[in-house]
Amino acid sequence: MTIDRTMIEPLLEIKNLSVSLKKRDNISVAVDDLSLNLYPGEILGLVGESGAGKSMTGSAILGLIESPLYISAGTISLQGRSIIEAPENIRGSQISMIFQDPLVSLNPLKTIGEQLIKTIKTHFNISKAEALDRSKKLLSDVGIDPERIEAYPHTFSGGMRQRVVIALALAPEPSVIIADEPTTALDVSVQAQILNLLKQLCTERGTSIILITHDMGVISETTDRVAVLYSGRLVEIGKTSDVLQRPQHPYTAGLVASTPNIDPSSFDKKLFQIPGAMPDIDDVPDGCAFHPRCEHARDKCQKHRPPLFDARVSCWLSEKPGGTL
Amino acid sequence: MTFIILNRLFQAVLVLLFVALISFLIFRFVGNPVENLMGQEATLAQRAALEEALGLNDPIHIQYFDFLWKAVRFDFGNSYRGALPVAELIASRLPATLELALTSALFAVIFGVFMGIYTAINRGSVITNFILSSSLIGVSLPTFLIGILLIWLFSVELNWLPSFGRGEVVDLGWWKTGFLSESGLKSLVLPAITLGLYQMTLIMRLTRSEMLEVLRQDYIRLARALGLTNKAVYFFHALPNILIPVITIGGLQLGSVIAFAIITETVFQWPGVGLLFINAVYFVDIPVMSAYLLLVGFAFVLINLIVDLSYFFIDPRLRDSELKDEA
Repeated sequence: MTIDRTMIEPLLEIKNLSVSLKKRDNISVAVDDLSLNLYPGEILGLVGESGAGKSMTGSAILGLIESPLYISAGTISLQGRSIIEAPENIRGSQISMIFQDPLVSLNPLKTIGEQLIKTIKTHFNISKAEALDRSKKLLSDVGIDPERIEAYPHTFSGGMRQRVVIALALAPEPSVIIADEPTTALDVSVQAQILNLLKQLCTERGTSIILITHDMGVISETTDRVAVLYSGRLVEIGKTSDVLQRPQHPYTAGLVASTPNIDPSSFDKKLFQIPGAMPDIDDVPDGCAFHPRCEHARDKCQKHRPPLFDARVSCWLSEKPGGTL
Repeated sequence: MTFIILNRLFQAVLVLLFVALISFLIFRFVGNPVENLMGQEATLAQRAALEEALGLNDPIHIQYFDFLWKAVRFDFGNSYRGALPVAELIASRLPATLELALTSALFAVIFGVFMGIYTAINRGSVITNFILSSSLIGVSLPTFLIGILLIWLFSVELNWLPSFGRGEVVDLGWWKTGFLSESGLKSLVLPAITLGLYQMTLIMRLTRSEMLEVLRQDYIRLARALGLTNKAVYFFHALPNILIPVITIGGLQLGSVIAFAIITETVFQWPGVGLLFINAVYFVDIPVMSAYLLLVGFAFVLINLIVDLSYFFIDPRLRDSELKDEA
């Protein structure tokens, strides 16, 4: 897609969002001053190591985080209206979410039909027969034989169950789907099918997707834009092709370089590793959170936290035009 | 399905045969029935004749089969005291115990499940903390003390409810019920609470912990993310998933309620089989003890059978795996 999305009104706007964790004697920050826009019809990737705050951001949008975690600052609005006060009003109907493990995402004691009908009847005031028809239609849309509507989840494979979950997420006809690692628990051969299905169905319906993943391959194949998170902070955001081909943040560059490549010419090369590990949220260093692992780190990086330059990258190296890695 | 039922029935019969063996052996270990029946004046010839008549000279396995054959026809012999047939004695007492057990089990299950769900949903609220801490009292006080305290409060001090007996009973021909008269219902309240209080706290704590566990599951998170109402999340998704453990423990508890009604029946002078059993123990009335043991064993086995079979109606995974084994 080549449209300049910054010219369109954002569908979902997250401003200065912070999610904190209250412990007995201190408060640590899991998502730190995060601002993101999601535009109509786009697929936005959220990428980062585990613990970077990707899933927490997704849960925070839907108001699904539970004590001791809480939203400590920021606003989240959908089509200009704040949703942070009453997230239950937009769950399903506006934004729905699917999770990592399809094996445990469905109620084992209810048929997939019962679960679909329950979801549809929650959001639309229609008869049970109509809800049944819609359920069958949704099943055939996700590539499951509608005849199996009375089957229980345990009779389906992991990939098929994730299809059912996608049907459930689409059932309330939301404008945004947050997909939290939707393919991580699946076989590689099934991953592509599920991603393509999700992408195709959302394009048809004009549904935007926030795709949360740690897999750079998935990001490059699926998303329009990508936001890279590190230690709960946004470090780089931009069009997927730009970010992956010309990463401006050393962390993004490290992630790209450490992605396994099946190109035969790279077989004898050793896979790149970013030295060290992401800090624990109790122990985030001053300044840029990445500086202890960054080969370009300077004094400034240790003391001052970099803002987002050019609406693209949060790194002091990009402070002046022409600053390079 | 038929295979599953037959399989469980077979297991149930095995257990009952073993229980019957123990009831049968009571006769051999708790004194000599001839002594009990004839007294000290009887001659040796009279004793021998009675031993022969009672079949005591037959080989032991013949005696056991004889005992079984009589038991399946509800022939447990005559009580040593009063010489009434034991079956009649028990049949006249059973409605009182079953009505008491059923009422207290319903009380325990309804309140236990309801409060368990409430305290799981409203974690940390004032009412939850009150229920949880007062339930500790319910668990730690012995039944007889609870009964006596209730009698003291509601019968002696407030004079609201009767302190003993079953009140007025209505004879339905085959069943004497206390459910149909006001005094019968009033008399039921205190013993039912006494008997069910411990079970209620147990079921409540179980329901609560199962509910908390289920609410952490991913399908609950998905249901919430799909915008389902709290009611749908708790009752459509969560409740069926806590049924198996709750039914298992609830069933076992119903068995114990029947078996351990003895103490409550003694405290409230409730004319049930428990009281009959206690009196039988005082007078070493072995046929009554033996029949009571069989009855309680039968109740446990029957309840367990129903609990076992209920799993297959609740959980489709079990249903399918058993059907696969069958195939």
